[in-house]
Amino acid sequence: MNDADTVNAASIPLALNRPLAAYRIVQAAILVTLLWKWEFFLRANSLYAEIPIEDPFFPDWLESVWTVRLAFWGSVLATGIGLVTSFVPLRKTSSWFAIGSMSVLCIHQASYNDMTFITAWWCCLWSVWLAHRSDSKNRELLMRRAAFLSRLIISVILLGGAAGKWTPEYWSGEVLYDIYFIDRDFWLFNYLRDTYEPESLQDIAKWYSRQIVVVETISGIGLWALPARWAALAGVLLLTGIVVLSNKYLFSVMACLIGLACIGFLVPRRSRIAKHPRQQTSTTGNLTV
Amino acid sequence: MADSSEVSIIHESTERDFGFHAIIAFVLLITTWLLLMPWFPGIARQTLQRFHLRTPSFAVWAVQFPVPSMYNFANQYKVEEFPPGFVMMVFDENWRYANHFPARVITFFAGRHDYLSTQTDRWFTLKSSYRGQTLESRFHLEAQTEGGYRLIRIDDVEDSL
Repeated sequence: MNDADTVNAASIPLALNRPLAAYRIVQAAILVTLLWKWEFFLRANSLYAEIPIEDPFFPDWLESVWTVRLAFWGSVLATGIGLVTSFVPLRKTSSWFAIGSMSVLCIHQASYNDMTFITAWWCCLWSVWLAHRSDSKNRELLMRRAAFLSRLIISVILLGGAAGKWTPEYWSGEVLYDIYFIDRDFWLFNYLRDTYEPESLQDIAKWYSRQIVVVETISGIGLWALPARWAALAGVLLLTGIVVLSNKYLFSVMACLIGLACIGFLVPRRSRIAKHPRQQTSTTGNLTV
Repeated sequence: MADSSEVSIIHESTERDFGFHAIIAFVLLITTWLLLMPWFPGIARQTLQRFHLRTPSFAVWAVQFPVPSMYNFANQYKVEEFPPGFVMMVFDENWRYANHFPARVITFFAGRHDYLSTQTDRWFTLKSSYRGQTLESRFHLEAQTEGGYRLIRIDDVEDSL
């Protein structure tokens, strides 16, 4: 351990097993992500069996309804086990099963397009990493790294959204006008349709779209560089805002990222003595330098 | 402002962590891919083909799945009950936008429910644009007597890549 770690270990009691708490928060958030569209998936389950599509692009096993069922339930089960178990080898194993199942969902014909599984996959990747570090002796460093990875992952996901929108059709608002403003049944768009004329709606759609492009770009480029707690706060507000201002189904995409963003709140505060250990040594004399 | 102590955790060597650095490297790789996309047409072309399920190899398509693409590109689609060119022009303007992966209107639950529940043939046209590049693809969904559909890619596509 370095100086700062030693000071922190002495000055900030880590009664709470923060890495374990962080791991469990993310598993719970992944479960919310997977089960938020429960009714939707239930209907899809029977429809995929009734209307199979034979496409030579996909291997047969990635068109099979049984594969998508097993992968979905496998990911739910593995994440649920990861959430509750205290048995470290089981936690490690379940984290691998979860990311394996999620990888299948990300390339299966019936689910590849659903960003729910992409964001959950990134959270599973983070979970695999953390699950294998539960024996770390330096929990503070582990939490800082966990929080750093969490905001790095959120940043790249937002950047992915931004980069694809750096095109005239998003800057003019044309795409989102058609997707949301014309007929989407959601409180915000219902209100705007009831209140404004179509010409005004197009103008609102333009600025709505532009703010998304700008906010995603700035967050994608800069969120990872913020201090842990500020990044956590910004991440939670931003991701929640996307849901509140877009559509309720997006919560399935965002829930696990919101859980991941919260990891920043678990990073122990660095006190002044931790930042200036030599000064503190002269006054307390109880530090290892 | 970034706290230097926050960023310095990457360089702390008290506990070597290969997995930590591997994830950072992976994210950097994807970030580079994303940031170059507007400037290198080849990268945008890969994504256009990815969205239309037209990547030459399934393996190449599959390895791109971690690249996040929420609400990417201007993706339009139209669905017809008759082969393209068979009906009057008025139907040809019935385009709608899709957020990402426009082929979802064929493969995903909502599309199957809306367009393929009748068990009759359908023709889908997808058109995606990104900063001057456009890819248009046509698909014939042929109803099968035993139920379900067979997806046939129609070669006659307008491709400005």
